[in-house]
Amino acid sequence: MIRTAISQLMGLRPSGGLLTQVRDKGHLSRPRLRNPQWFLRKEVTNRGDLVTAENKHFINDLVHEGFGAPALIKGVQTYEQNLIKTRDLATPPQTWTPQIRRCGVIARKIGQYPLWLKNGERIRTTLLQIVDNHVIKYIPPEEYVPKPLPGQRDSAANHKRGVLIVGSESTNPVQLTKEYSGIFKDSGVVPKKNLARFFVSPEAALVPGTPLNASHFRVGDFVDVRGKTVDHGFQGVVKRHGFKGMPASHGVTKTHRRAGNIGGGGEKGRVWPGTKMPGHMGNRWRVIRGLRIWRINSKYNVMWVQGSAVAGPTNGLVYIYDTILPLRKNQEAPPFPTSYEDSSEDVWYEKVHNFKDESIIYEKE
Amino acid sequence: MNLTARVVVNRLAQQCAYKRIVTFSTKPAEHAVPAQDEPKNVEVPPAAPTQTPAVPPTTPRKPIIPANYRFVYPEFLPDPKVEWRNSIREKLERLDMLERRKQIDLPEFYVGSVLAVTSSDPHAAGKTSRFVGICINRDRCGLRARFVLRNVIDHQGMEVVYELYDPTIQKVEVLRLEKRLDDSLFYLRDALPEYSTFDENMEAEPLEEGAPVPVNDIKVVLRPRPWLERWERQNLRGVANIDQYLKDKHRLSSARVQKPWEKYDMMKHYRSTIAEEEQTEIFAEVHTELHTLELQRKRNKRKRTFLKPKHLA
Repeated sequence: MIRTAISQLMGLRPSGGLLTQVRDKGHLSRPRLRNPQWFLRKEVTNRGDLVTAENKHFINDLVHEGFGAPALIKGVQTYEQNLIKTRDLATPPQTWTPQIRRCGVIARKIGQYPLWLKNGERIRTTLLQIVDNHVIKYIPPEEYVPKPLPGQRDSAANHKRGVLIVGSESTNPVQLTKEYSGIFKDSGVVPKKNLARFFVSPEAALVPGTPLNASHFRVGDFVDVRGKTVDHGFQGVVKRHGFKGMPASHGVTKTHRRAGNIGGGGEKGRVWPGTKMPGHMGNRWRVIRGLRIWRINSKYNVMWVQGSAVAGPTNGLVYIYDTILPLRKNQEAPPFPTSYEDSSEDVWYEKVHNFKDESIIYEKE
Repeated sequence: MNLTARVVVNRLAQQCAYKRIVTFSTKPAEHAVPAQDEPKNVEVPPAAPTQTPAVPPTTPRKPIIPANYRFVYPEFLPDPKVEWRNSIREKLERLDMLERRKQIDLPEFYVGSVLAVTSSDPHAAGKTSRFVGICINRDRCGLRARFVLRNVIDHQGMEVVYELYDPTIQKVEVLRLEKRLDDSLFYLRDALPEYSTFDENMEAEPLEEGAPVPVNDIKVVLRPRPWLERWERQNLRGVANIDQYLKDKHRLSSARVQKPWEKYDMMKHYRSTIAEEEQTEIFAEVHTELHTLELQRKRNKRKRTFLKPKHLA
């Protein structure tokens, strides 16, 4: 911010003749110490340990009456929800254009394993399971007024995109606070463990209660996956930045895993911004863009996505969006605004070798 | 081949006697219950695939999982690291493995068995290449399970790493089914070449049906130093002459890095293995399919043995 302000003041562009090498990351690298503005306490402090077993049973019965009996749906523990009423209200069909931004989904990274292409190439894939996603709320662009941040006066006055709030993984509402459960009040959905908001074009709005499944995406499309990287804590320079360290012996004392020199002298006689140094590693939001979907299993709502670099640990939450990379964006209309059909098939991308097929023999070119 | 049937029965009985077993190990754990305490186990030939035994009519029939499945299909057991586990991923992986196994016969083999692998050759389109060698290591689980074959060809040691479920593999034949005294045979790299030399046109040596897998207790002769690894630190049982090359400094340093207490570390053992209950759960899921594949393989084998004399004539 300061950098741009100064360059604007001086009327200079960063690429000008002046030496303006800036290597900072553009944000402060300290962990957040306070809750965000929109924070709502989620879980009740009173766990109900003093409630008798009979009363607990009674409360659970009430919950099941309201939301349906507990059930294992697509490999996820949830409730048999009667959302037919809301599904009937599905939005009138809109035509898709490449400029339209669709809703994303909340998923869990459940592991990685290799697949093979039909040309014999081995690819590494990450399995993402879309865990019991339902639309909770839609806020149209004109109504979306986020609370201004402490430093800012006015935040994003006129939005072009609305906000879809999506929840995943139903939970027992007994354990949640009143204000958190209030989010789900008008949606007809069981309170969810995880929430996410997706900025969507008004045409892509969805009715509360709409389930989002793996069929929201197609095999062969590209997605962006956002996740929080594994928290490594405060780490030295060898682990954090891959420095080589110094020799273990040959007279070396006390400097085996240290960074060494961090700056020059003379004109540049200071530590330059962005110098790689020890510090907190991981626990950051990262987006991996343009990952191809190789395979989709609708029975368990799992999709196989290119690579093993998806941020976060196994069983961690990730958020999946249509990619914004211009060359990998959807060319044809994807299921829009989402796919309402519920299948249980296993779809493979045409280039991927299905394990049901015979062994591969390399073909002459 | 030097076989001692008594030793084999004893060892297998020991393997069945204790509860948890390291996924890829064929070695009996040192703290295991000695087989002598339980004479019952010795009488049962454990390696024989159990056919439906006489079940008392009162108990409901359960799928009977042979006790040797964890050795025959070690890759069906997931990585015991808790942070990496997910039941749905593991299930999907197993389904894929079964699908692949329906396409190709992936036989039972162990470290020390001699295999021939026929795979598509990326450098000769439309053709396949066949490599014969001794399996010196098996590792990883699930679809990424792999093994290393070693042979000496034209006085040059060759090793090929194959992924078990790689669809470019056309055929896996077991030419000699046996085990060795160690879990991995990387020391063959430092042994005399005759110990890892196998004829390319070797004929398969079929075992009797239902016979336990023999343990070849051959001891290999190492070349003098320098070695690729410090073999003296690894408590190898299949090496004959390691003492010949050791000086006192090697013995001392080897003694310094030994961890004799680890065999009492129950938590370590727990973390590095899959519990028996979980193993039965996993194998109960895949047992029927694996069993039908086994039966099919047996039928094919019988067909092949019947055709053999005609071929020779």
